[in-house]
Amino acid sequence: MFFMSKHFKTYSKIFWAISFSVFFFLMLRITLKYIPFNSNVAFLNIKQTEVQNVKPYLAIFYIHVYSSIFTLIAGFTQFSKRILKDNKRLHKVIGKLYFYVVLFLAAPSGFFIGFYANGGLYSKISFVVLSILWFSFTLIGFLKVKNLNFSEHKYFMMRSFALAFSAITLRLWKVIIVYLFQPAPMDVYQIIAWLGWLPNLLAIEYYIYKIKK
Amino acid sequence: MKKIIVLFSLFIAFGCKKEEKQAVVANDKMTLDENQKLYGNWVGDFIITEADSLADESDYVYNNKLNLVIKKIENFKAFGQSIVAGNSRPLIGSFSEYNGEYRFTFNEPGNNSNDGKFTFKIVDDTLKGTWTANDRKNKVLSRKFVLTKQNFKYNPNLMLPDDTEYVDWYSEKLDSVKEVIDDEEETYYEETYRTASDIITKLNASTTLLSENDLKNLKKLELEIIRNTIFARHGYSFKKKSFRQFFDPVDWYIPVTDDMSGKLTLIEQKNIVLLNLFQKYAEDNYDSFGR
Repeated sequence: MFFMSKHFKTYSKIFWAISFSVFFFLMLRITLKYIPFNSNVAFLNIKQTEVQNVKPYLAIFYIHVYSSIFTLIAGFTQFSKRILKDNKRLHKVIGKLYFYVVLFLAAPSGFFIGFYANGGLYSKISFVVLSILWFSFTLIGFLKVKNLNFSEHKYFMMRSFALAFSAITLRLWKVIIVYLFQPAPMDVYQIIAWLGWLPNLLAIEYYIYKIKK
Repeated sequence: MKKIIVLFSLFIAFGCKKEEKQAVVANDKMTLDENQKLYGNWVGDFIITEADSLADESDYVYNNKLNLVIKKIENFKAFGQSIVAGNSRPLIGSFSEYNGEYRFTFNEPGNNSNDGKFTFKIVDDTLKGTWTANDRKNKVLSRKFVLTKQNFKYNPNLMLPDDTEYVDWYSEKLDSVKEVIDDEEETYYEETYRTASDIITKLNASTTLLSENDLKNLKKLELEIIRNTIFARHGYSFKKKSFRQFFDPVDWYIPVTDDMSGKLTLIEQKNIVLLNLFQKYAEDNYDSFGR
């Protein structure tokens, strides 16, 4: 069967590599909008209430923007069997970078700005839960490798990265939903807040379940 | 005796003069009052009667809303202003009264390619007449109008009526629709338009200071209309058809000026800054990869 064939695996790898690079580039471009530091640029244009009334908001928002882009780098290296085999050092370096950035910068800042998310209570709950799960999976994944439990390390880091990847899927869903239905902006936001990460997590759980079998 | 006669005649002469003077004054006052009731905004549709083939009759805003202002009448000379579709033109012309009919001819200055000549009469409460373009190469050659007098007063509480749908007829997009009929695939095109929700009949940007939360869930069209409603309350004459389509049909809307400087209240100024910011954000981000 074609799906089982070696060719299919190679092609799908290439497909993922290319599309991930494209989306990484788009995310990088979004990040670069926030350089130089500015209190009313891009997304912050509709966040002036928080910028002016919640003292730490702006700083924490910027921590999130500047740090999160580094977590996506893991997507290039960490799930490659070849790098893991031939270049363990690189795997470890990028892995540590990912771990520290998520645990000390990206996830906690996401947790904080999640409380001020657009779209009301439902999106706030979504982003806060997302940040807690992201933090937890990353921490557990790290502890697993410390205990030399490599397969569990792999599964938890897959879960963790599926959530990191929501940065991309959330924005992708937005484009699709707006194209199809043109809803009011915050109605879109409430939907993508959940659609951004929940299907990712379900998909990766299913994938892990398949491997385990 | 002679003296008495002289005195008497003098008395008569003076008396007569006085009477004459009084008659003249009364007459002046009467004509002044008569004209005063003609002064003001005469408002109604400016209907095309003759146009070249380029004019599109299926255009949603085919006819404009006209405000013909009569300002002053002096010795058969009349002064006014025409305000239509973002054009405010001074008018000078002649005036005559005949059998309770007030007849006017008004000329626009003539230094604008769209200038022309108004000819109309006022009978009772109705102003009726025609307009012809000076330039015979103009897209629109003549128009007619039936106007009624309307007082303009800025009222921040005025809102767009909530009994109509607000569709932007100038935002046509063609979506291809594929359908399989009798095993044959057919493609046809469906027009879609931007629409505004009824929030635009509820959110008043002239009386309430808006917050980000008020605006976050609004689409670009809604932000645009809410901002333009501020201008409409001040009687701003819109140049763009895409703006006029929402305000021309509104009863309270009278175009009185093409200049907003110094007219906006502090609340309105602040709201416009915020509305512009959100409009820009909606433009840049609503359908793009990002938030």
